[in-house]
Order: sequence, then C-alpha cells, then structure tokens
Amino acid sequence: MKTVRLGAGMAFWGDSVLPAVQMVERGEIDYLCCDHLAELTMSILSKQRSRNPEYGYTRDVLDLLRLSIRQCVTNGVKVITDAGGANPRACAERVAELCKDLGLTGVRIAVVTGDDISGDIDRLMAQGVSFTNMDTGEPLSSVRDRLTHANVYTGADGIVTALEQGADIVICGRVTDIALYLGPLRHEFGWAADDWERLGMATVVAHAIECGGQATGGLYDGGWWKTPGLENLGYPIADVSEDGTAVITKTPGSGGRVDIGTVSEQLVYEILDPANYLTADVTADFSGVRLTEVGPDQVRITGGTGRARPDTLKVNMGYRAGFIGEVQFTYTWPDAYAKARRGIEFLENRLDRAGFKSDDVQIEYVGRNSMWGDRVAEPDPADDDLLELVVRYAARCPDETEARKVFTESVPLYNNGPAGVGGIGTRPPLKELFSLWPCLIPREHVTAAVDILEV
Amino acid sequence: MANIRVADIAHGRSGDKGDVCNVGLVAYDDAGYATLKSELTEERVKEHYGSLVRGTVTRYEIPGIKALNFVLTGALDGGGTRSLRSDHLGKTMYAWLLRMEITAAEDVPTYPTGPRPEAVA
Repeated sequence: MKTVRLGAGMAFWGDSVLPAVQMVERGEIDYLCCDHLAELTMSILSKQRSRNPEYGYTRDVLDLLRLSIRQCVTNGVKVITDAGGANPRACAERVAELCKDLGLTGVRIAVVTGDDISGDIDRLMAQGVSFTNMDTGEPLSSVRDRLTHANVYTGADGIVTALEQGADIVICGRVTDIALYLGPLRHEFGWAADDWERLGMATVVAHAIECGGQATGGLYDGGWWKTPGLENLGYPIADVSEDGTAVITKTPGSGGRVDIGTVSEQLVYEILDPANYLTADVTADFSGVRLTEVGPDQVRITGGTGRARPDTLKVNMGYRAGFIGEVQFTYTWPDAYAKARRGIEFLENRLDRAGFKSDDVQIEYVGRNSMWGDRVAEPDPADDDLLELVVRYAARCPDETEARKVFTESVPLYNNGPAGVGGIGTRPPLKELFSLWPCLIPREHVTAAVDILEV
Repeated sequence: MANIRVADIAHGRSGDKGDVCNVGLVAYDDAGYATLKSELTEERVKEHYGSLVRGTVTRYEIPGIKALNFVLTGALDGGGTRSLRSDHLGKTMYAWLLRMEITAAEDVPTYPTGPRPEAVA
C-alpha cells in the first residue's frame, strides 16, 4: 500500500537547519515541508522588502538548501516551504541562482502567490469586505495608515497546482502551516479538495509534526530528563497512508524520542476547540484522535476527521504599534528588595520629570515573579538574606523617542541611585512593536497563482 | 483522599494564538484523567490563574489521548506581539496549572517528575 513520507524540516525562521539536512540524508522522505513564518514574521519581512525590493523572504532557506538541495535532487525529495514570506519571487530567484552555483540542472522551482492583498484593500473594501477586527469589532480605519502588510492564510490549492506542474521546490508566501503538508498529500493521493474526512485526518497529522522538534522530545514536560540527545534532536517524519492516518517517527540515528507522551503534548499545542480546528482547507476534528506505539520511536495516529472548510479565510494583517523600551538591573544583598524598590521609584520619578508617555508598564523581578505575575508573592522585606534581585522594567510607548527614555533615565542608576547595583545595559534595547489585526475575507476573493522557474 | 498537585498526575504544554493562551494537559493514566476531569472545572482553573487571565476559561476534552485543553482568553497582556511580559508567548502558563493543588482518591497513581534518582528511566 502506498504511503507518502513527509518530513517537518523547519518550525520557524531561525530554527536549526541541521535536522532538515539529516532528514534529507537518511530519513527516506518524499517531501521536506518547512515552515518559516510565525504570527508576525510577515511584519518584519514586509519592512525588509520596503527597504530593499530584493529582500522580504526568510534567508535561512538558502542556508538550508545550500546544505541539502543536491541530496534532495539525488534522492528525489521535493521541498515545500513558506520561506517566500513577503517576497516569494525574489526568494525563488535566489534559490535558482543557488542551484546554478551548485551546478544543478533541470530543477523546477514554483512560486506560489495570491496571498498578498496589501495592494487590493481599497478595491476589496469597495466590494464589501470590511476587514473588521474579529476580536474587538473595531473598523480597519483605526489602523489603516499603520498597516505593515496584509496576507491571507491560503490553503493547499497553489501547492497542488505547482506539484502537478512538476515542481521540485515550491516556494510560497503566507500559506497555512497545514497546507505545506496537505498540498503534497492531495497531489500524491489524488484526494479531492472536498474530501473532508481524509483532509481532516491529515490535518491532525500535520498539526502533530509542524512544530518540528516539539513532537520528538523538545519541550517534553512529561520526560525531558529522560530524553536522550536533545542537542541532536531528530525532527518528525509522518508516513501517511491513503486514508490520511499516519505513523509518526523521526530521522534514524538522531536524538530525541517519539512516543505517546511526546506526540500527545504536541497535539494539544496551540489549539482551541479540538472538534473545530479551522484551516483554509478543512475544518478538522481532533476530538477522537488516538495514538498507538507500533515500534521504537513509531506512533500510529488515527481517529481524526473533518468537515467542510470555512467560507472565509483568515487574514494576517499587522500594524505598527509603537515601541517597547525595556531595561534590566540587579540589586544585591544587603537589603536587595528595599534597594530594588528605591531603584524602581528613582526610575519612575526621573521618567515623570522627562515627560515620559507610555500605554502600559510591566515591572517584574526576574527569577521570582516574571512568569506568573501577582500569583507569586513579592519578596519578603524581612528576608535579610536575599542575595540578589533582578528588576525588569518594560513599557509600551507610542514612539521610539519615548521608548528610548526608559534607557536614558535608567542609566543614572549606576552612580546616582541606591548602592549595590549591577548589570545595567549599555545600549538602548529598543524593540519596534507590531500588532496583529485579525480579520476575515470571503474565500472567493483569493486565488492562488503559480509560476515556474527552471534552472 | 490525598492532596496532590496536577503535576503529580499530568504533564502539559502551552502556547499562544493572539491574546488567547491554550494550556493542554495530558494525564499519565486513566485514573489521573478522571481526576483531572472532576477537579479541573473551568471555574476553578479561572480562579487559579487569577489576574493572569482577564477573559474566560473554556475546557475541551480529547479522551483518546487523556487530554484536557483549556482555552484562556485575554491571557497574554494583549497578545504575544504586544505583551510586555517576559513570557509573552505563554510558554510557561501550563506550569502554573501543574502547580494547582487538587484532591484525588488514595489509589490514583502519582508520577514523580524531573531528574531525581527514582524517576530516571
């Protein structure tokens, strides 16, 4: 019986490329599926593209392909990636140059577009698409002049078309993470675009492996201490059957583990209602999922299903939302807590005097309550043996000038504030803030387009 | 009845979707799963998170893998991309639920975790 082996090569921009390289070398995979885009990666990539029209994709894909594309061609492994980000065409052109540099010929590189609607917003609004914020109900006009990008989470159609046209490497923009896996499966098995049961089952499989090492022992709360080889974690491979069920395993000879525990933890990662997992391709139902250990590092996954896909697609829009100004400083024994309190007061008074404006401020003691806030008691003022206390002060500010004040007004803590302070930064750690504008678009407005570049 | 923590009978993982944080718990066995279901009501979990969750707590069940999924709204200080918290993505929110104190029947097995000698496989 035919199976298709899908490897989860990358889980985010900046993830290690070695697990993918090893998987191509010895994982006997048919497809290497790589996700490089987190929720607001598109804001960063759009900003890069606006500065240089040749940029706007995640350049780690070139590092990955430099080390693996020759082997992919030799082993017949096809690569599906969303590394195109805000500029899939530029990404594909660089990949084509890389293939030429490596002396490869006959490589077909597909560019899948259609997700970027940033230039069509006026036309779409005239046609009745409101882009109202689905969480707050606010109209788009409240952030319109600050938008960084607008991309639709598109489904697998473009990937299927690209593979039908013989693509060896498929470079997409903002397709869903799930589409990177459903595309090759629809192509290989000939599933109809409305085969909801199989697509739903395969979506559960894709969800289990799409975050790479988190399915194979990374972040494993149930047994991190007995998981070998985290430094050389093998990324997950799904051996998918025609009915959409799969056996999940990992690259042979790699670190980590695949068992019911590791896969269960990942199945519950970043989901809402498990019976209604909305994607561009299908509404998947995880509620009946079952796992069986069928061999060493082999888990069979069954019991997922699906129903008709939603009529609307989610739009990933981001907007510039100011800057975060942030500092950290450490007070020591004796009287670490009292000193820290006085240091914070010093900073707040100086910021007031500087006319500081912020929308919100967060003060944490790192090592004490920075994870769980006021659920954790403040240090005991009577504890005269507290050796050190790290203060983190962060403020959300309307602009860069205000955010910079957090730094400039904290520097005098070095020689004007309470005694016993260390570790004040010497450089302003400014972070531009992008916020998400979650909204929907009826799917009839969105069509994938596919171009092929041949080396 | 015995006083235990959720960590004695389950492991977990958490993450972000905008300003929503989800906390998935997986019981180590069937008895633990039954205990989780009876002890971890939406109301008690909401109370346990206190000010960390400004919105609602909704619980879902995935019985085939002995899992509960808690969806916490208004739980990430405006969302992972805006949040001022050190843990802006809610990666450690699950561990706060693991600390919750619950009661369980005396015969519910507990599972020591971490690299203590008796726990190393």
